[in-house]
Amino acid sequence: MRIPDEERALAEAARKGDQAAFAGLVRLHQRRAYLVARAIVTVHEDAEDAVQEGFVRAWQAIERFDPSQGFGAWVNRIVANAALDITRRRKVRSTEELNDALQSPFRDPAQDAELKSRLSDALAQLPERARSVIVLHDIEGFTHVEIGEMLGIPGGTARSDLHHARQKLRTLLQDLRG
Amino acid sequence: MADELKFPTNGVRRDADSLGESLSALIRDAYAPPGGEAYWPGLEQRIMARVASESQVETGWWSVLAPWGRPALIAAAAIFAIAGVINQQLVDTDNQLAYESAFQSSTPDVVSTSEEIMSLERGTDGATLSYFLSH
Repeated sequence: MRIPDEERALAEAARKGDQAAFAGLVRLHQRRAYLVARAIVTVHEDAEDAVQEGFVRAWQAIERFDPSQGFGAWVNRIVANAALDITRRRKVRSTEELNDALQSPFRDPAQDAELKSRLSDALAQLPERARSVIVLHDIEGFTHVEIGEMLGIPGGTARSDLHHARQKLRTLLQDLRG
Repeated sequence: MADELKFPTNGVRRDADSLGESLSALIRDAYAPPGGEAYWPGLEQRIMARVASESQVETGWWSVLAPWGRPALIAAAAIFAIAGVINQQLVDTDNQLAYESAFQSSTPDVVSTSEEIMSLERGTDGATLSYFLSH
């Protein structure tokens, strides 16, 4: 994997305790990390908690990071673990919470409310892991192997989950798509 | 719609089974953070504030003592060993003194007993005592 020079330099400086360099890594990777967390926990506040926790854990473990590897993949795994910790703590996530999250006032007001409502219902009906896999793969573009590493499952299981999740989501949204 | 499954965008790997672009866009929008682009600098600041806070905890006043931990342990072990040796020597000395004092206090008794025997031997029962001592 080709690591950009800027990222490698930042990672090496961060390993020596340079917080400004670590801030540079945060700037580079926080968006993807947020989306990883959001795919797992679904609620914005939990996703932010997971991202913050993940980066703090990454800082605490930065001496163990190998700069020749991608910082993004490494930190995304840590963030995913932090997000999974949150889901374990809050195992029962109600449909109402998901609806609230998806219908947040921060969204584009022009977006079709009914479509969003249907989408939120459909996503809520997916099993937690299936929802994570479908978002991580189809929205964020992670590979099955990367998703497997993040969620602690084999890549083949991620692939299988993805297939079933797509089928179910299509079935749930069939009338919208037709 | 079948063509919804074939929109390769955003660098996301798509296959024939992928969700359609419009659905993907909806999900992406639904999972976007509040505040749009303005959200990210704030998140970075909050993360770095926690990192700085963690670093302060790591480098608290007690961490000044951390480099002295190993020498302090070695010194404590050496002091403990020396104290042990000194203690052992004191115990030996006490034992020696106790032994000597016991020995010295018993010597006059022995002498006096001998003297007693000698005087008894000179007494009327000297013959009887001489008999017992010789058997």
